[in-house]
Amino acid sequence: MIKRGFLRPRSKKAADPGVGGNGLRRRGLSERKLALLFVTPALGLLALTLLWPLILAVDLSLRDVRFIGKPGAFVGLENYSDVLSEARFWQSGLRSLIWVAGNAVVQTALALAAALVLHQSFPGVQIARIWVLLTWIVPTVVVVIIWRWLLSNSGGMINPLLMQLGLLEAPVGFFSSRQSAMTTLILINSWRWFPFVTLMILAALTRIPGDLDEAARMDGAGAWQRFRRITWPLLQPTLSVLLVVGTLLSFNVFDIIWLTTAGGPSGGTQTLPVLIYETAFKGYELSRAAAISVLTGLLLMGFAIAASRSMTREEGA
Amino acid sequence: MKNLTLRGVTKRFGATEAVSQVDLEILAGEMVVFVGPSGCGKSTLLRIIAGLEPVTEGQIEIGGRNVTQAEPVERGLAMVFQSYALYPHMTVAENMGFPLEMQGLAKEEIAARVRATAETLQLQDHLDRKPRALSGGQRQRVAIGRAIVRNPVAFLFDEPLSNLDAELRVQMRLEIARLHRDLKATMIYVTHDQVEAMTLADRIVVLRGGRIEQVGAPLELYDNPANAFVAGFIGSPRMNLIPATAWRDGDRLRIVVPGGEVPFRPAGPMPPDGAAVQLGLRPEHMAVTGGVPLPAICETIERLGAVSYLYARLADGTTVTAQVDHGLAATAIGGQVGLAPDPSKALLFDASGRRIA
Amino acid sequence: MRRSLPLRLLLAVTILFFLLLIGLPFWWVISGSFKLPQEIIAREPTLVPHSFTLQHYAKLLDASAYPTYLLNSLIVGLASSVLTVLLAVPAAYAFFRMEFPFREGMYRAILLAYAFPGVIVLIPIYGLFAQLGLVDNLLALIIVNTTFALPFSIWMMRSFLATIPRDLEEAARMDGAPTPVILRRILVPLILPGIAAVGVFAFISSWTEYLFASVLILSDDKRTVPVGFAGIIGQYQIDWGLLLAGASLAILPVVIIFSLIGRSFVSGLTDGAVK
Repeated sequence: MIKRGFLRPRSKKAADPGVGGNGLRRRGLSERKLALLFVTPALGLLALTLLWPLILAVDLSLRDVRFIGKPGAFVGLENYSDVLSEARFWQSGLRSLIWVAGNAVVQTALALAAALVLHQSFPGVQIARIWVLLTWIVPTVVVVIIWRWLLSNSGGMINPLLMQLGLLEAPVGFFSSRQSAMTTLILINSWRWFPFVTLMILAALTRIPGDLDEAARMDGAGAWQRFRRITWPLLQPTLSVLLVVGTLLSFNVFDIIWLTTAGGPSGGTQTLPVLIYETAFKGYELSRAAAISVLTGLLLMGFAIAASRSMTREEGA
Repeated sequence: MKNLTLRGVTKRFGATEAVSQVDLEILAGEMVVFVGPSGCGKSTLLRIIAGLEPVTEGQIEIGGRNVTQAEPVERGLAMVFQSYALYPHMTVAENMGFPLEMQGLAKEEIAARVRATAETLQLQDHLDRKPRALSGGQRQRVAIGRAIVRNPVAFLFDEPLSNLDAELRVQMRLEIARLHRDLKATMIYVTHDQVEAMTLADRIVVLRGGRIEQVGAPLELYDNPANAFVAGFIGSPRMNLIPATAWRDGDRLRIVVPGGEVPFRPAGPMPPDGAAVQLGLRPEHMAVTGGVPLPAICETIERLGAVSYLYARLADGTTVTAQVDHGLAATAIGGQVGLAPDPSKALLFDASGRRIA
Repeated sequence: MRRSLPLRLLLAVTILFFLLLIGLPFWWVISGSFKLPQEIIAREPTLVPHSFTLQHYAKLLDASAYPTYLLNSLIVGLASSVLTVLLAVPAAYAFFRMEFPFREGMYRAILLAYAFPGVIVLIPIYGLFAQLGLVDNLLALIIVNTTFALPFSIWMMRSFLATIPRDLEEAARMDGAPTPVILRRILVPLILPGIAAVGVFAFISSWTEYLFASVLILSDDKRTVPVGFAGIIGQYQIDWGLLLAGASLAILPVVIIFSLIGRSFVSGLTDGAVK
């Protein structure tokens, strides 16, 4: 928005000797003041607890600080060059990408299926819609405990179940190898988050006018065709937004990984957030950690901006 | 009682001019109807008067006071929206009382005024119900009631009858006319339906492309349209506009149309010889005879009960409408008919639509 | 609606799949919390419990300050939820209907808040709150949780506002209502389901938050459920019964809340839905 408009009243060329004289309000200015009043508390809070710490973090990354409270000298971009030259930064980055991609695929598939089901009418659908949210409202630690127990070899249900179903011959150590740990974690995280995505997709589905589907039925389209040609294209805008926001959020997931495997085994699930945490609180290299964080943040911001630009271009906005 | 004046009112949205240099004086107590095809700017103009859209240029005055920058409520105007815009979570009484609440009136007075207005609109039994429990016609009356209760300087109606079915529309039209007589208030009414315009208006304002084409009493516009657009817009079925050429014949003109010619006595200056013109004749001034002077092929006859319309095609393909008798045989369809225009009722327009005579 | 048989079958199978996918783990946990320790770690796990005991719950309530954790989480959750709504609704309206400089830019910037890992702000926020004397204070958590919930809440609120027909606001303007009155008397009552949805979202986010709660709260009597629970894991590494009981208790409050308001939350989202 152009700064000039901030100072000048909104409606100009109307010659109005009467304004001010008979006390008529100028709508433009007072609305602007009110709008800023409405927006300032929220933005103020965000600025204080988000923007300012971010700036501090950037500052931190440009210094040499090891512990909290101990000031450090300014070292410019040294931390960044150190970080970028370390193999484990790139390895963690790769793991983060795998993490995000895996989550995206599994969650989208589950959420789409669930949303389509919940969009139908069958006895108990109202309850089902509430029921499905169960895994979202539960604290992450509880999710962690649940699955650590279920997947464990002492009393865990999953191994015996899979063996009974004939899918396994011997009990599997779900967290014993790096690949299986990553896969298992992706599945657990998806289990935990897909209900929320389901709800968002369901909301979008209910926005699709019912008569489009009916017209397609009149035209003789079967259920699969109706989905592919009508429902799916109309869901694209919502799915795109969810994909972007979901990617950001799942990229930054920390607690579930940390509490389940603490980044192990042997770093197999050490995504970037985990690396940052370990660098800061286990390795006592605060500035390094800040540098990694800033790099991560810039990467994600770039992704988000690029994604939203291409989305608005598609919508023809 | 106050007059409402528009001076040079213009509204631009980016590069598009939705309303261009509108000058209009609306007298106190009159019912003025803005009419025109969609996109002509009539709703925009109404919203500008209401104060919901700011002007790009120009002035608005009410009772001599400049209100161009004033908020809607400061102008003393009330509006009835096309969708009624009733507050769904409030009862009828609360809906109608809301503007009074905003004015800061006491509860008892609000209740009294709401009740009085409700009674004039037959709504007194519905005061505690919510809009969703009412029929379309009732909701519309609540919307009107919300406007009446404010005792406004003028009422603004934005296509209020569009959402009603045909029968209800006629009924509500009569009610609005009655309302105007009883309240003796200034009313500005926007519609795309020229029947509503003709029946309700003291004066009609015909708009096209953001400009005023003509302002006048309904019959004035009907008998004396300023151009071909107004001629074709007012009156249903449309006036016939037949492309023709004009030739001088002493102090008269011979208007040559496909298949024949029509003598014409112009009241004003003569067009040049051979000029391309349009001959305007309303269906009721077009009779059907045996074969003189314009031959045409009859395409269809619409029988409406009280009156019938014959649609025929001239030699060059132009369609002509004639009002005919009930008894015209159906065998006429597909066959030749002769159309006899009444020259004394004919109007002449030049090729661009301007009225010549 | 008549569906073909294969379609009905597919639907039923899918419903069953999700029912089990979500329900079974919880069933195992809750039923396990009542089992004797031997049964819990037995080689052949049982779907229906063979034993019944309350010992785990007794130990849990004795050995830890679990009720305190629950209370703290409730306080933080409710306060965050109320604060989020109070801040998000006017902001959303301003972004939606009102004109002010940099409006579009700021709106886009808000959602970018989620681009940063929570860890990045952890240290500066700790330092900031330490300076303000807010460390080991529930208020710190309330602030942090509200901050996290705000961008998404503003976004959600804005889409709810978009479902209200514009002429309702215009009619109110014609009736002489100033903007705050329009918001309070006309819009808010009509988007109440949406507001409830935002409130629930903020509550749940706050209820499940672990990272900041573990860093900003030091004393045990101010701990919230996720951190308190993680502490129990740390202490009693192998006592599954205790852990299962704790998990069951952690699930309980939200299930209760959800069974009360769940319906309006879901319909709030699916009726006046998201763009």
